[in-house]
Amino acid sequence: MTKSIIPPLIFFALCLIGLPLVLSALWVKVVTSAAIFALAAAGISVLFAQLGLINLAQIALVGVGGWIALRLNYGTALPVTLIIAIAGIATSVIGAALALPALRMRGLYLALVTLMAAGAFQILFNAFQFPNGGEGFWGVARQSAADLRPPLMVQSDAGYLRYTIVITALCFGLVALHRVTAPGRAWAMIRQSEANAMAAGINVTFYKIWAFALSGLLAGVAGGLLSTALGQLDARSFLASEGILLFALAVVGGAYSWVGAVIAGVLYKLLPALLNDFGVSADIALVIFGAALLHAIMTAPRGIAGQLSGALQRKPA
Amino acid sequence: MINIENLTVKYGGVIALDHLTLCITDDVVGLIGPNGAGKTTMTNAFSGFAPITAGHVVVDGMNLLALSPHKRACWGLARSFQKVQIADDLTVADHLRAVCDAKGIRQRDRTSQINHALDFTGIADCADMPGADLNPYQKRMTEIAKCLIGAPRIILLDEPGGGLSEAEMQDLRRIITQIKARFGAQIIMVDHDVDLIRDVCASTAVLDFGKLIAFGPTREVLQDEAVKTAYLGR
Repeated sequence: MTKSIIPPLIFFALCLIGLPLVLSALWVKVVTSAAIFALAAAGISVLFAQLGLINLAQIALVGVGGWIALRLNYGTALPVTLIIAIAGIATSVIGAALALPALRMRGLYLALVTLMAAGAFQILFNAFQFPNGGEGFWGVARQSAADLRPPLMVQSDAGYLRYTIVITALCFGLVALHRVTAPGRAWAMIRQSEANAMAAGINVTFYKIWAFALSGLLAGVAGGLLSTALGQLDARSFLASEGILLFALAVVGGAYSWVGAVIAGVLYKLLPALLNDFGVSADIALVIFGAALLHAIMTAPRGIAGQLSGALQRKPA
Repeated sequence: MINIENLTVKYGGVIALDHLTLCITDDVVGLIGPNGAGKTTMTNAFSGFAPITAGHVVVDGMNLLALSPHKRACWGLARSFQKVQIADDLTVADHLRAVCDAKGIRQRDRTSQINHALDFTGIADCADMPGADLNPYQKRMTEIAKCLIGAPRIILLDEPGGGLSEAEMQDLRRIITQIKARFGAQIIMVDHDVDLIRDVCASTAVLDFGKLIAFGPTREVLQDEAVKTAYLGR
């Protein structure tokens, strides 16, 4: 176990030091978004890899976290890091509440319930928009967005990228910690069979809700990070269809390892920007994603991350 | 002491257990019967996995059926399954740790309990092996070790001897007969192997079509004409 934390530590340390140095202003923002959505994808992976549950509402929950963070940033004088933490915790409660009716369902039916929830949030976001510094509870004014406070000690976009990488790495660490402690063991028993878990004394309902709460926490933190990164959020970024896309990419990347979530974030945000940069329509990304999903379903159930680790293990030592 | 009163289980129109009444006091009790007689249904009724329409199960004064399945396990009902339930990606020790987590066993008691269970079942060597790498015997023993964590009161073993070799069966006999003395749990064992039942069970109950057709000291029960007709194929 101690060995397995070294590669991600090296990876995040390299990103932390290297990326802000080598990237231009535009790409710093793109990579920040990619890191944020890698965090959201990690939440999808927790549910899918640990319990086989399909959550298509993750983007909607990112929106919920973003809404809460914006509201608190405009409405209170709390430090931004605390706001992001509150957004994460509040979203985790909402994620757990969403899980309640879904507990008896799995597979396609659960996926449909989460898709409906994502649709409901899409309508709410459209109707009420995201706070932009206006008056009242909804905080929306007919104006361009007011300035947001950045986190303490973060003065530049490069600094915010570092901040995002640190928080993302901490959250990945939290997921890894879950996998090697009581929740991870309980999830493995439930995965084997629910009867087996119950016969061992495991409270299946509790640990399923816990998984949804952890997934929601990651979505909420991602939303909080995103709102501060962009300065304002647009309801059009949180469509239900985006939730399906991010789920598909989490599967393509590989739900069973942290690398897969990183790949999902890169595909979701970096690939369209790269295509744009090459002068190709970013919509081509959807075609690539479709092909990648077919590839993953047919030949690589553990995703690109699984293929990478397979290739590394085959290499003679 | 396990008191089963009028226990009835129905799957749709099929009566899987028909007003079963049984009082179990021996340390190791066998449960036999032809396929479909209701043996696994009875263990599932104990665990809370079967639709019970009537009856009570009272163990040491505790009404078992009032508890939810995982609470029954935490109270002291342990069981193994006919099809072993070992997660491929958990090590043997992690399986036992998962039971410790669920039963709220304190950190300082864990190591001794886990080691005790591993030593007793003879699988201490593969404590750190993942479930996927275990052979069927090691899986079976892991399943039994899981039952021994956290002061069990009753252990239900559903065909523990399935697929084991004769040498492995000898180990199994030794383990089953010593559980009461070492861990304090009463055992109800479902199996098809009459030799195993004869060797380890003080008393035996015979089910046929959901009904109890014989119960008493194992030797007498196995000589019973009704049992021979129903089960031993005369």
